[in-house]
Amino acid sequence: MDRYRFLSPLSRASGLGSAKAGFTHWWAERITAIALVPLTVWFAASLIAHSGSDYQAFIAWAGAPVTTVLMILLLLGLFWHMALGLQVVIEDYVHGEAKLWALLAMRFLCVGLPIVGILAALSIAFGKSAPL
Amino acid sequence: MVKTDALIIESSDQVPRRTLFKRFPIPRNFGVSPGSSVERGRNWPAPANATRIKAFDIYRYDPDQKKNPRLDTFEVDLDDCGPMVLDALIWIKSRVDPTLTFRRSCREGVCGSCAMNIDGGNWLACTRFIEETQTPARIYPLANMRIIKDLVPDLTHVFAQYEMVEPWLQSKTAAPERERLQAPEDRAALDGYYECILCFCCTSGCPSHWWNGDRFLGPAALLQAWRWLTDSRDEAAGDRLDKLEDPFRLYRCHTILNCTRTCPKGLNPGKAIAEIKKLVAKRHG
Amino acid sequence: MDRISSTRPRPLSPNIQIYRPQLTSVLSIANRITGVALSVCAIGLVGWLVAAARGPRAYSWFQGVIGAWPVQILLLIATFAFFLHLCGGIRHLVWDSVRGFELRQIYSSGWAVVAASVLLTLATWFLSLTIGRVV
Repeated sequence: MDRYRFLSPLSRASGLGSAKAGFTHWWAERITAIALVPLTVWFAASLIAHSGSDYQAFIAWAGAPVTTVLMILLLLGLFWHMALGLQVVIEDYVHGEAKLWALLAMRFLCVGLPIVGILAALSIAFGKSAPL
Repeated sequence: MVKTDALIIESSDQVPRRTLFKRFPIPRNFGVSPGSSVERGRNWPAPANATRIKAFDIYRYDPDQKKNPRLDTFEVDLDDCGPMVLDALIWIKSRVDPTLTFRRSCREGVCGSCAMNIDGGNWLACTRFIEETQTPARIYPLANMRIIKDLVPDLTHVFAQYEMVEPWLQSKTAAPERERLQAPEDRAALDGYYECILCFCCTSGCPSHWWNGDRFLGPAALLQAWRWLTDSRDEAAGDRLDKLEDPFRLYRCHTILNCTRTCPKGLNPGKAIAEIKKLVAKRHG
Repeated sequence: MDRISSTRPRPLSPNIQIYRPQLTSVLSIANRITGVALSVCAIGLVGWLVAAARGPRAYSWFQGVIGAWPVQILLLIATFAFFLHLCGGIRHLVWDSVRGFELRQIYSSGWAVVAASVLLTLATWFLSLTIGRVV
């Protein structure tokens, strides 16, 4: 028996009430978006400038302090924005228990991957052997 | 006549003369539950003496038959019929099939009863010219609604969502002897919002409401929420925002703006929701 | 009150199966699809940095993969996805400040996003190919 259809319309519509949240997520998505406009444009321009350059020239650019700082900011902003955006996509289309697992996997990736990327950027900057 | 070839749509009553895609390129019954898939129905030919004939594909569902919804084709004698889509429906009901069921009342776009999906967009049947429709005209009930019969949707849920925004004046101050006064500019703030006729074309056309309509309030209810938030006589703004500030109720709006594109009254639910989000941001900082 | 039918549940009327694609909904879903595609690219970005950190051999292997023509076509699509998401995102930021909500503005900004994304994609590839040849 579908018990859901015996609920009153207002009970169905009001559900568990307001979470009194959602602004922080919405705001952070906008802040990271604003930060990513210059960061991604800088990154795209750098890629254009270095297309076709050899490994030495590339490392000279990638290991420079300015590049390292900007690269770390890019990784942080990118994966933060990505985690917020993918969360909404998953919440929109995935329902039930699968939603929990999808959100978990996505969040682990969005925390782990930028750490790997930042370590790589730092090891290029300091000329250490690679972390991986 | 507002059929247009223009790329830039300037008002919601404009209908594209031709479109690259009449519908999204997905299978016809994609993601549809078995009981909701639409089957091919029957043809209802025009009277033998008719000369100017136009075909209408119309969604049919009869709850008394244990059958799926179907799409019937009706041929309408345009010389015997008024100019609007609603006239065609009334012509079919009185001349061809009296069981065709739809809501209508004012026939001049102020009651919102005859809201339905015409050629893939939600609009009022009484304010859409037959000449503006494609051939065959495709008439479905409002999108994404539980269907009671034929073109009559069950609006219980969307009205419950409307009720949730408490669309009435709330004030703790004792009622004044005479009317509650407003500055002219405060009264002007209601323009573009109070005119909503609750036809639910916007909520029914909102993809976010399609996927999460159980929790997302939808553009119609949120436009009404803004109408009371922006009313200078109302004293419950804080409580109203408390109830709205939720990842689903408010923030499931992704500014797709199908709502503003489809509103038969030319209102702007998308802008109203952006105003609410701005108000929440203001409250936080 | 809801009338409870004792027979089968009411059918749900079609939604995305019948609704006309419009610039509003098409650009919205495009912003979403490009966002997911760019998330995949972000994983590639980390892989590229790791390859560069590991040394010349790993880096040139990675560059070799990128240079293969099927990957180049994917990169061309990714460039377009990047610019569409960037321009679409700026359009959303303007909306968030409650500006540009007239239908005429919604449609003109929408087409501007499409045009700018195509032009920026072409410019990017023209520049990277010419610089690659000169340097």
